[in-house]
Amino acid sequence: MARIGVDVGGTNTDLVLECAKGVFYHKVPTTLKNQSIGVVEGVQGICRMAGIAPSEVETIVHGTTTATNITIEHNGAECGMITTEGFRDILHIGRHKRPYNFSLHFDVPWQSQPLVKRRNRIAVAERILPPSGVIATPLDERAVREACALFRKRGINSVVIGFMFAFLNDAHEVRAREIVLEEMPEAYVTLSSEVAKVMREYERFSTAAMNCYVGPKTAFYLRDLDSRLREAGVTSKLRIMQSNGGVSTVESCAKRPIRILMSGPAGGVIGGASEGAMAGEANIITVDIGGTSADISTIPGGVLKIMNPRDTYVSGHPVLTPMIDLVTIGAGGGSVAHIDAAGAFHVGPRSAGSEPGPACYGRGGVEPTVTDAQIVLGRLDPDMALGGDLRLDASLSHKAIEEKIARPLGMTVREAALGIIRIINNNMALAIRSNSVARGIDPREFSIMPFGGAGPLHGVALAEAMSCKDVIVPVAPGITAAVGLLKTDLQYEHTEAVIVELMKAGGAEFTRINAAVATLRSRVEAELDNDGIPRDQQTIMVVAECRYHGQGFELRAVMPEGPVDAANCHVIADSFHDQHQQDYGYSYRKAEVELITLRAIGSAAIRRIEIPTIPRTDGSSIDRALMFVRPTTFDDGRTLETPRYDRTRLMAGDRVPGPALLHQHNATTLVPPGYVAETLDYGNTRIRLIGA
Amino acid sequence: MNVMTDPDAVTVDPITLQVIRGSFETIAEEMGHVLYRMSFSSIIRESQDLGAGLFDVNFNTLCESESTPMHIGSIPGYLRGIAETLEDDAWFEGDVVVHNHPYHGASHTPDLAIVVPVFFHGRLVGFAGNTAHHVDIGAATPGLIIDVPDVYAEGMLFAGTKLYRKGEPNNAMWNYIRRNSRAAQQLVADIEAQVASARLGARRFVELLEKYGEPTVFAAANQLMDYAEKMTRQRISEIPDGDYSAEGWLDDDGRNRDKRLKVKVTVRVRGDEVEVDLTGSADQTPTAYNVPFEGSTKVAAYAGFRKLLLDAATSDLRVPSNEGSFRPIKVTAPLGSIFNPRAPASAEARFTQCNRMIDLIIRALAPVMPEKVIAGSSAAISFAAYSGVRPSGDYWVFLEVNEGAYGGRPRSDGPDSIDNLMANTRNNPLEDLAMHIPMICDRYELRDDAPPGAGEYRGGIGVVKAQRVLTQAFITHESERHTEAPWGIFGGRDGTVGRCTITNPNRPEALRDMPSKFSGLAVEADDVMTYYSPNGGGYGDPLDRSAVKVLEDVLDGFCSVGHARDVYGVVVDLEAETVDMAATEKRRKKMRAV
Repeated sequence: MARIGVDVGGTNTDLVLECAKGVFYHKVPTTLKNQSIGVVEGVQGICRMAGIAPSEVETIVHGTTTATNITIEHNGAECGMITTEGFRDILHIGRHKRPYNFSLHFDVPWQSQPLVKRRNRIAVAERILPPSGVIATPLDERAVREACALFRKRGINSVVIGFMFAFLNDAHEVRAREIVLEEMPEAYVTLSSEVAKVMREYERFSTAAMNCYVGPKTAFYLRDLDSRLREAGVTSKLRIMQSNGGVSTVESCAKRPIRILMSGPAGGVIGGASEGAMAGEANIITVDIGGTSADISTIPGGVLKIMNPRDTYVSGHPVLTPMIDLVTIGAGGGSVAHIDAAGAFHVGPRSAGSEPGPACYGRGGVEPTVTDAQIVLGRLDPDMALGGDLRLDASLSHKAIEEKIARPLGMTVREAALGIIRIINNNMALAIRSNSVARGIDPREFSIMPFGGAGPLHGVALAEAMSCKDVIVPVAPGITAAVGLLKTDLQYEHTEAVIVELMKAGGAEFTRINAAVATLRSRVEAELDNDGIPRDQQTIMVVAECRYHGQGFELRAVMPEGPVDAANCHVIADSFHDQHQQDYGYSYRKAEVELITLRAIGSAAIRRIEIPTIPRTDGSSIDRALMFVRPTTFDDGRTLETPRYDRTRLMAGDRVPGPALLHQHNATTLVPPGYVAETLDYGNTRIRLIGA
Repeated sequence: MNVMTDPDAVTVDPITLQVIRGSFETIAEEMGHVLYRMSFSSIIRESQDLGAGLFDVNFNTLCESESTPMHIGSIPGYLRGIAETLEDDAWFEGDVVVHNHPYHGASHTPDLAIVVPVFFHGRLVGFAGNTAHHVDIGAATPGLIIDVPDVYAEGMLFAGTKLYRKGEPNNAMWNYIRRNSRAAQQLVADIEAQVASARLGARRFVELLEKYGEPTVFAAANQLMDYAEKMTRQRISEIPDGDYSAEGWLDDDGRNRDKRLKVKVTVRVRGDEVEVDLTGSADQTPTAYNVPFEGSTKVAAYAGFRKLLLDAATSDLRVPSNEGSFRPIKVTAPLGSIFNPRAPASAEARFTQCNRMIDLIIRALAPVMPEKVIAGSSAAISFAAYSGVRPSGDYWVFLEVNEGAYGGRPRSDGPDSIDNLMANTRNNPLEDLAMHIPMICDRYELRDDAPPGAGEYRGGIGVVKAQRVLTQAFITHESERHTEAPWGIFGGRDGTVGRCTITNPNRPEALRDMPSKFSGLAVEADDVMTYYSPNGGGYGDPLDRSAVKVLEDVLDGFCSVGHARDVYGVVVDLEAETVDMAATEKRRKKMRAV
């Protein structure tokens, strides 16, 4: 019985395999055109490494950027939309706010790259009225059929159905789908009331449109991957990581691909959370540093935070779907350092990518990057990148920094390199702040968990900048995201709009709330049933998304045990007041609390990967792991003869005093002077100030 | 006693400078975020009609949130006004001041500023403050005003008024506010949100000073201002020296319907400095249709140059939001004119004049900056106040900002139905609205009654929005540009004027064409106000527009087959959804020859 986690990144496809023989790690180049080719190769490769047959693999969990890339490359399906008469251009107008305050030449992504072109947005007569959802004008069924005829003529096969006030009454959307499927039996259809049954027409329509836009291709990719794996003799269950941190089936994701728009970074956050548990730390800030960007997430008490749905945008389009709360900033190993016309010193957000890449790659890049600064400072050994698989030219790094930064600013190359590191670290620290301190979280109670190949070079500096308590370096920093794929549960969410002023609520309102809860539970149960999860292993939680009457943004409140009634209704309001206090530092205890949306989250635990522990130290000297000694420059400007240790030869309980570098195949960890790195039970590492 | 080191004597290294800059920006964003997430009125929480930032004791902006442009750069004016009027003539730790007096630096009266002094080691070192547009401050008509006699009809006027003194609430003042608004609950809760945001900013400011030291932080702030100034001067010096003028006409002052009002802009470029001279513009009006000079005229002129010279989308440099970029720009408007009224003239309805001034600055500079300017935009606004009385006797008041459209641009079409120039708010979700107030939207689409200005790059398409009231109600509407269409440029055609009608589905024959501004109009149940915003002007010759783009516009319903043929010279086969290239070439050749 073996399980594989496979995480597809922009450059590499990372794999981890767990079986009776142990845990194996593998990396293959990502096949950008069709990720499934690289995935299948990687799966075959890692099975060979482990010496098992592909048929022995029981489950594969996959993190994919396929859906995200469609939105970045603007090559989704040509979609048609059927919407309410008078409201044809909701998707074109959006929230009518410009992306920039001070610009005349700005782009408007929802107009220049529309999910559905205006010619294919067909408005038909129908009207549902608030606040009850009563039908004022019946659906013009003939107009729906005419729209289908036009779509057929234009070769369109992906159809969005979005009607005003469908969150109150979905009868017209459901009927329109029946007609569309009669007219176009093969069509990929998405209803706005199905993907996001919530108030706010633009966001709901945009969510449905995004589903239709990425749907056909994503569905093809997932099913194609499934069949390629089968051809390769892999008969395992294929599961896909969703943006909310839960995994789901191929069929479910093919139907709702908007759920996997953040599939890529989610694995990293989960991997980080579980590495936190392995180190005995509940409060973790994960920093996943890649070549072009860094993903940052705050995990208080070991619980992943889910973003407020009002904040979830993908490529400029709002998409109302649960996503792990993370911020992505343009800061990575490839971030370019440059000086602008007025003499200011910047690092990123532009990246040299992998082509031409940092100057030291010798592929024609002449602009200095963060990686070049690490080389100049002796923090990366040019002959040790990827365990020596990638050769880097230090002289090119030196030259690029000298010409582009040091000379213009009248600094030494070393000072300029230190400056690059300091600015990039500060950019990351500010992003961490926005995801932590800005939400009332005290970083002094948190550990920084840096990963991605370059992450552990920045860990201590980020911990210092944020006053975090220490740094935890995961077992395999370069592959933490892939490991995370094997550490999560099945998870599904559904919503119902239920708008009720809680303090005035009476019997009728409680009946509505309880009926909605029952509907939501049965929908979530049906999805888990489909996955073959026995009822006694299903966990279903319902949360109440509330706001003060008159506000515009909801926060999550807990629901009481059992049905809501007059006696326990205050539980919701109290919990909302507390959440408001925590998020904004203020609450209006006497104001009316309004329930807006009920959300059911269903999950089922699946077995987690077990990372083996490493032997305890036998008391022998850490010299057994010593590789060589070279000069390295630290943030305080000192250049010290710094020993390099092979991290894989360290034993639990070993303490490596700084200055030191810890090498392993996929990552380098920097331990500055004054710090000590203690190897923990799993080969993970805690770095803290000596004496702290 | 603490004596501050002279910040000019400290030079901050470029790295620390970026670190402090980032911290400033994060603090401002955090202040803005708390304010709009907490607030109750849709004009703040949805439209985000607010600003927030930190300031030094000389009222220089250290940082400001990226919310709406009309607020950005306006708070220093408030701070100068507060200095003139401050209760006790002194700041104490724990004070919170409210201020909105248009003759003491405010932008206009509904934009209340909340200011908190920042003390460090017992000494005043700066301010944290914000501004936000409130739904109703007890003016002559609910929400908005236009046709009023003077500033005293604008509602409650606050000047250096302390809501908290040394941390103790001024309960009499809070009660006074509660008793003098039609939307008291929202007003009070939103002021509380402003106080929470300002206090947060003050706390973060102190943390920053503790971390880097006072001399370094203020030296960094000065250097950042010098940097913004240097960037601006560099760009101004690229414009050839000279005097550049443009003028246009505003519809009326909201009372005297037959009298159009001139706006004249002269831009004087001298080396790396520029003057915007509004001499020649109309005299001040007898209504609220005037612009406070300090808090609005100057702010709009600065913003216009920032868009033109330091375009945030096309440059990968981000210029910090501070006073530096204003220093090389001088703004002149004669006292007693529409852009610099004398007290006690009312000056609440000031937005459309500001937008038109920016549009004319762009037009004036077009001959010397053809690659930077754009054709005429809607350069108006539609600001509507809907209100009514619920059966309980309480008022409901709803403020709505409707969008406009941009002029065609040197490399792309003008964006459609989007907030224009100084405006950058968000619309209200129509479903949310209809669930909570007795109104419903009947139509929200792109305008299809008139095409946008044709050009190689066409103008943006305006919006049409029809809002129906379900009970008797009052409407005040502040808008513009019913008489002068947005201008086309370099061969581009003019756009289309705006329009506003009142209709009732039960009486389809009774259509009323409304003037662009009207005050406190009583309407009946089911009356519908429909607003059509102006379409933008075109940039460049329509015959140079790519035929495929014309086809796309025809398919999308932005352009008729006839318009494509007659104006663009493009022959479209609508059935086949293609361009007849041969016929198009022939036709264009013939049209060029004329």
